[in-house]
Amino acid sequence: MKSRKRVVTSPVVRSTITPKRQRAGWPLRATNSRGSVSTPGTRSPVRIEPGRGGAPGTAGATTEAPPAPLDLSVDIGRGLVFANPILVASGTFGYGIEYGDVVDVNRIGAICCKGTTLKPRVGNPPPRVTETPGGMLNSIGLQNPGVNAVIEKYAPLWQAWQTKVIVNVAGESVVDYVEVARRLDGVPGVAGIELNISCPNVGKGGLQFAIDASAAGGVTAAVRRVTDLPLLVKLSPNVADVRPIAKAIEDAGADALTAVNTLSGIAVDPGRRRPLLGNVFGGLSGPAIKPVALRIVYETAQVVSIPIVAIGGITELRDVLEYLAVGAVAAQVGTAIFADPTLPVRLVDELADECRRLGLTSHQALIGTALPARRGSGAASAKGVEYRP
Amino acid sequence: MTMRLVSAELVDSREILPDQWLQSFHAPELASGARAGQFVHVRTGDLSGLVLRRPFSFNTADPVTGMITIHFRTVGRGTEWFTRLRPGDRIDVLGPLGRPFEVDPRSRHLLLVAGGLGIAGVRMLADEALRDGRQVVLLFGAASAREVYPSSLLPDEVEYVVATDDGSLGHRGYVTDLVPQYEAWADQAFACGPHPMLAALSRVVAGRRERMGVATLGRKRGGGRSDAFGSTAARRKAFLQVSMEQNMGCAVGACLGCVVMGTNGQPQRVCREGPVFGVDEVAWEGTWSQVLAEAAT
Ligand SMILES: Cc1cc2nc3c(=O)[nH]c(=O)nc-3n(C[C@H](O)[C@H](O)[C@H](O)COP(=O)(O)O)c2cc1C
Ligand code: FES
Repeated sequence: MKSRKRVVTSPVVRSTITPKRQRAGWPLRATNSRGSVSTPGTRSPVRIEPGRGGAPGTAGATTEAPPAPLDLSVDIGRGLVFANPILVASGTFGYGIEYGDVVDVNRIGAICCKGTTLKPRVGNPPPRVTETPGGMLNSIGLQNPGVNAVIEKYAPLWQAWQTKVIVNVAGESVVDYVEVARRLDGVPGVAGIELNISCPNVGKGGLQFAIDASAAGGVTAAVRRVTDLPLLVKLSPNVADVRPIAKAIEDAGADALTAVNTLSGIAVDPGRRRPLLGNVFGGLSGPAIKPVALRIVYETAQVVSIPIVAIGGITELRDVLEYLAVGAVAAQVGTAIFADPTLPVRLVDELADECRRLGLTSHQALIGTALPARRGSGAASAKGVEYRP
Repeated sequence: MTMRLVSAELVDSREILPDQWLQSFHAPELASGARAGQFVHVRTGDLSGLVLRRPFSFNTADPVTGMITIHFRTVGRGTEWFTRLRPGDRIDVLGPLGRPFEVDPRSRHLLLVAGGLGIAGVRMLADEALRDGRQVVLLFGAASAREVYPSSLLPDEVEYVVATDDGSLGHRGYVTDLVPQYEAWADQAFACGPHPMLAALSRVVAGRRERMGVATLGRKRGGGRSDAFGSTAARRKAFLQVSMEQNMGCAVGACLGCVVMGTNGQPQRVCREGPVFGVDEVAWEGTWSQVLAEAAT
């Protein structure tokens, strides 16, 4: 494993693994943000950079103090710092170039590009998308030009951007994932990897990596071994209990979790009375999945210490605030981009306004407020982890 | 013209045929840059219910008045939402999108073929062609007389020929039956309609590219040289260009939701490589995997 630093590094050197109990101090409050946000030696999922707003000694601790500059930056670890917590989700924003002048990509916290595989893939037969109540189904089938083409064609463009680009990686075997990660390692313009593990593992009879803790941990560990790139792993909502899976991924060395991918679903063409999608099965996204995604972030936040980036049905600031409240440090906007490509940038502005309105110097204090209070050794609270239909 | 996100004001809305609506919007930014064959992606209602925009061809675009029109059928909640708009209401429009029809500068005679609502896809080309001094024949097919596009909505100079399935107006039978009579006259043909109609049309014109139309006109210039798949030059040489439909997500090429299979074995994005394609670019026959297997050999 190489140990080059290639992404903008935060000025604070962090320990690699932080014991869970060190996080017991949060959620942080505006009134006590001084000292608890970036106390040396402790790790919070969001780190405020010294010299900008919120650093100890630079701003008053009370709301009466003169307005301190706002800092919405998010430190994911391994030097990956987003300028703000609003990201765009894989598969909904292509390679960052398709929306052209309509969207100023440099104002987005980070871009997760379309799922990338070792070899080019043509994807599934059409129709591939259809609208559903409050959402949509997609079955793109991971159409992409393969990792080499992505590196050649897009990485040079990304290098010129201020926005971080995270390559979403998919595969059919551990070997696939490892090889894609190996090729991305050290490529200028690639700021991190997001593992899409909602893919069938051909070696295991097509069982998805994401639904099995040992497979999810296994592929994470294997990728971790070959790259120093910041590693985010994307959880699937199509599981009975996400917690052991999230834990296994954390233990395997992931820097962060992203949650969630789409929910499995189908649609029927009412006229033909046949499956509507060419692939029969599709992934449900959009506002319809938000309560499910919220629940999964809520559950996950109580069992892991690494940062969580929330995804699912975000269409307005309120959704972002809800995800922060259940423990996410950042959020990705997906399907809503199709209706409103300017939404991600507007959310950045609206979040900044909201923080100012609340007298905050960062969104840090908004994180985790809806989580049950932690007791004792940091074991997950019994409250709020059950799912009892 | 690069795409833009604009706010357009509804000026007029009418039901021109049963469940088919024609709406005019004031959108000068789009009216002056759009070309026939391109489309707009329009936001509907509020996000909690309908999450996707709806794509509509430019039915007409008038740079002088700044007006654009769209023509659609009410097929669900999204399109019904549009019919409830009142003059003065504003909609959020992304456009112009996709690649336009490519008319060879030497073409004098254009044959337009439309099936039902497919008229919305080729209608604007009639305006463009007449403006450029070309002659236009429009062949139109529908199930019956009550679904025939009103001739009053077409420029007088267009020769309008109708076919109905039940014979209640014009030729009894399919619109594709009419094509052979005009093939020799036409330099280029442009079609929009249901997939089976376009597939049938592709069979009608198959193999005639060599001796007909622009291919003949262009014998001297660039004969023998083969143009890149999907290039503007290749499309100009194709006797027939078709405007395709597909369910869409983003409409800008980002989501890969809108593909049709190309004869090169690569999925083609209707929103980006299309919606207009040269007839030879689209794999009309065979399943997805059959075309892939064939392209691989
Ligand atoms: C058209 C489409 C394509 C997608 N492609 C990918 C992909 O390649 N990799 C991935 O990890 N997630 C993919 N996703 C899932 C999204 O990144 C996101 O997790 C999901 O849509 C939920 O967020 P949303 O409700 O905001 O859309 C895709 C989603 C859509 C709608
Ligand atoms: S609709 Fe998204 S790529 Fe065409």
